[in-house]
Amino acid sequence: MSRRPRASGYFRTNYGEDLSLLPTRLERLALLGVLVVLLALPLLASPFLIDLAAQVCLAVIGALALMLLTGYAGQVSLGHAGLLAAGAFTVGILFKEFKAPFFVTLPAAAAVGALLGVVFGLPSLRVRGLYLAVSTLALNFLVAYLGGEYEARRGFSTGIIVDPPALAGMAVTDAKAWYLILLAAAVATLLLCANLLRARSGRAWAAIRANETVAQTLGIGVASYKLLAFVISSALTAVAGALFAYYRGFVSVEAFSLFLSIQYVAMIIIGGMGSLAGAILGALFVTLFPYAIEASLGALVGASAYAGLLFAVNATTFGAVMILFLVLEPQGLIGLWRRLQTYFLLWPFRHRPVGGARR
Amino acid sequence: MTARAPGPLLPGPLLPAPLLPAPLLAVDKLEVVYQRAITALEGISLSVAAGQIVGILGSNGAGKSTLLRAISGFHGLDDARITDGSIHFEGQPIAHAAPHLSTRAGIVLVPERGKVFPNLTVAENLLVPVAARTGRAEQRRREGLIYDFFPRLAPLRQRTAGLLSGGERQMLAIAAGLVCQPKLLLVDELSLGLAPVVVADLLQRLLAIRSALSLTLVIVEQNAALTLGVIDHGYVLENGRIVLDGSAARLAEHPDVAEFYLGQSTSGHRRSYREVKQYRRNRRWYG
Amino acid sequence: MQLAVNIVVLTAIYALIACGYVLIYRVSRVLNLAHGELLMLSAYLLLWTASLFAGHPVAAIAAALGLSVAVGAMVYLFLLRKLTGEMALAAVLTTVALGVLLRGLTVIVWSAQQHYPAVPLGLANWAFALPGGARISLWAALLVATTLAVYASLFAFLRLGRWGMRMRAAGQNPLLAAQRGINLHAIYALAWSLSTLTGALAGMLIALDSGLGQTMAIIGLKAFPAALVGGLDSLAGALLGSFIVASAEVVLIHYVDPLLSEVIPFLVLIVVLMLRPWGLLGTREELDRV
Repeated sequence: MSRRPRASGYFRTNYGEDLSLLPTRLERLALLGVLVVLLALPLLASPFLIDLAAQVCLAVIGALALMLLTGYAGQVSLGHAGLLAAGAFTVGILFKEFKAPFFVTLPAAAAVGALLGVVFGLPSLRVRGLYLAVSTLALNFLVAYLGGEYEARRGFSTGIIVDPPALAGMAVTDAKAWYLILLAAAVATLLLCANLLRARSGRAWAAIRANETVAQTLGIGVASYKLLAFVISSALTAVAGALFAYYRGFVSVEAFSLFLSIQYVAMIIIGGMGSLAGAILGALFVTLFPYAIEASLGALVGASAYAGLLFAVNATTFGAVMILFLVLEPQGLIGLWRRLQTYFLLWPFRHRPVGGARR
Repeated sequence: MTARAPGPLLPGPLLPAPLLPAPLLAVDKLEVVYQRAITALEGISLSVAAGQIVGILGSNGAGKSTLLRAISGFHGLDDARITDGSIHFEGQPIAHAAPHLSTRAGIVLVPERGKVFPNLTVAENLLVPVAARTGRAEQRRREGLIYDFFPRLAPLRQRTAGLLSGGERQMLAIAAGLVCQPKLLLVDELSLGLAPVVVADLLQRLLAIRSALSLTLVIVEQNAALTLGVIDHGYVLENGRIVLDGSAARLAEHPDVAEFYLGQSTSGHRRSYREVKQYRRNRRWYG
Repeated sequence: MQLAVNIVVLTAIYALIACGYVLIYRVSRVLNLAHGELLMLSAYLLLWTASLFAGHPVAAIAAALGLSVAVGAMVYLFLLRKLTGEMALAAVLTTVALGVLLRGLTVIVWSAQQHYPAVPLGLANWAFALPGGARISLWAALLVATTLAVYASLFAFLRLGRWGMRMRAAGQNPLLAAQRGINLHAIYALAWSLSTLTGALAGMLIALDSGLGQTMAIIGLKAFPAALVGGLDSLAGALLGSFIVASAEVVLIHYVDPLLSEVIPFLVLIVVLMLRPWGLLGTREELDRV
């Protein structure tokens, strides 16, 4: 687990302190401040912003799951959109066929995700690195095919409409309520991931990512930990997809394209691999990016001229930004932030002393 | 630097100092740093005159391979940087030149690991290197010369290089280096992993090549006894610094070299390891 | 019989595209996931040169090929070269990002509608009748012939040509290759140029046969499993892999379900990788030194 740069004077005298999530008072205060802002958002922001925030929360869940798999366990996955689609379609199918309530569909989505995780995690036991990444591409196309088949067979050619979940008899339709639910889900995911990383599984993943052969020699059950990473990550992502289905009230196969998988990978790259905060930042960046492009395009040229080309402009700039990050700052936004912190902490020295070449 | 003493194979008069020709390779206060934090080499100054055989001795981790890589220009691939000092080859500064250009200029490295292209045949291994001076006749002459020096390779022309024995592989590595028409040949750990008989044979061939092609050799070795028998001039590297240099004879006589590298104790009884370690730490080395 | 013809044509398409992946991977260990978009760009460039040289197909095609080669070299020199030394994943993701960028760019410049470069060039497309009641179009037949010619020349070049040997050497041990005087950047740029050249041939022939649209990039992506099935550093493997994937696809589409066309290559890939993780004819990667 990457440690953020800290000034001297922070001592840890027992294991509990070493493992704690917020060791310093500054961090605790900062978190409190962030929480206050997030909870106050529904009271202060416009509905558009609340919707945006809800989208970010959804993206955060998926990004955290992918960061766990790719950033920490080192198993590259390009099939994230497939998992989201799987969760969404589980909800859609169970709703349409059985009118199942959300406390059935959500665990079912998690189970479907876990199953897909096992199925697509099995190749990772034989295949490594880039070959594995390509086999995960299959996930996108497979789920798209199955979803398309369902839509065609059952006549929902434009997609499945899903009723909002009912809580104690009331349907949850208020945007603010949804925001708070999704925020809670995102926070829960963050806590889950942070705890997984603090525990033995996190250390095992770090070892596997660093050098699989050595990890195996050290007695770490590489196969089971890899599968664990796939299963947990896929289950979380499927739940995110399910929540997405409920939030939008609509499930259709077109929403889950290869581009969406690429966007999630971009989230963890731009945010910074190997950092949960990076996943959050990346999710924020990538979700807000299209809106920023749209706004700047409208301000620059006049909305009407480029309306039809918006997606293309989006894609072009997105690709360009991703390239810029990969070439100039492969550690992502978190890398930039850490460099800033390190600069001030180490000043007037330029570089850390000997003892691990942590770039 | 001291005047050149006649080595075992080189005849020749001692030249008075002012008429000494400019060195082929001059390294001046070189400093190489890995990953911006670990100093691998510090204050390295050495010079190699044309036609000399220079040896660089030292134990593991002393920085010998780093030095050769810096001279041949391949340090950058390990995220190492030359942070101070200079390297001049034939009067031209080469410290920051692109790697393949220093090969074309005449500095060729025979590396310690990854010596040959394992999936190419022996013949292909010898065709791949880029020769500095092209011309069919010259290339063919050199190829014939190489098979004369290493007759073992001739029947192995179609053998995949990865299937060769250790000694054959080292021969191929040297031969491939020669195809580049070097003026300065850097050999890293010739003896590693090879039987003594094979090593002796290789060294003899290397010396024969050097006389025939008037090469200059820089040999990096852990096996000091072997090396001191062939080199003209030697440098001892310890923890990234040069602690001793001199002619082969002088080095062989120096008590510290005799003790630490040749295993000959001057006091007559065996020292315990603890004593030796502290002694090395405390003692300052003076040439 | 028509099925057999379809298999041959699809094999040729995949093989011609797959050799581009193999060339770059074999020489520089980079997966170029933008290959599909690059060949689509080449087809769009043909559209442009077709309007410049209307009625002169040879000139237009030659110009488009030349431009594609330049694009390939430039992608390496200005983009991938900056990533030498970074981990391989970064290079792959950069190509993914490049692909996304190119898709957007082609839509901005040429719009997302279907185009037909054959029209401004004045080239017609006939269908031949073959024994057994099968039919094959002119451009498809040309494509098969081109694939065979490309593979023959690539085999000869890599096996026998001095620079082909050097490319193979650079792929096996780049450090040693550089130490033997080979300019690695030049070799990599050469590999990229050859890759875009073969891709351009594929893209243009497909566009002349059946038109040009945003879906062409997907064909490029489907050829990727074909390359992997055969082993990503083996040209012969690419041919074999293309045949296997194309056969599976044509047969399953015909007898089971046409919607499966995008999934099949990847399913075949997973099955093959489970049995032989480095592809059918790929070289087993060496164990890491621990």
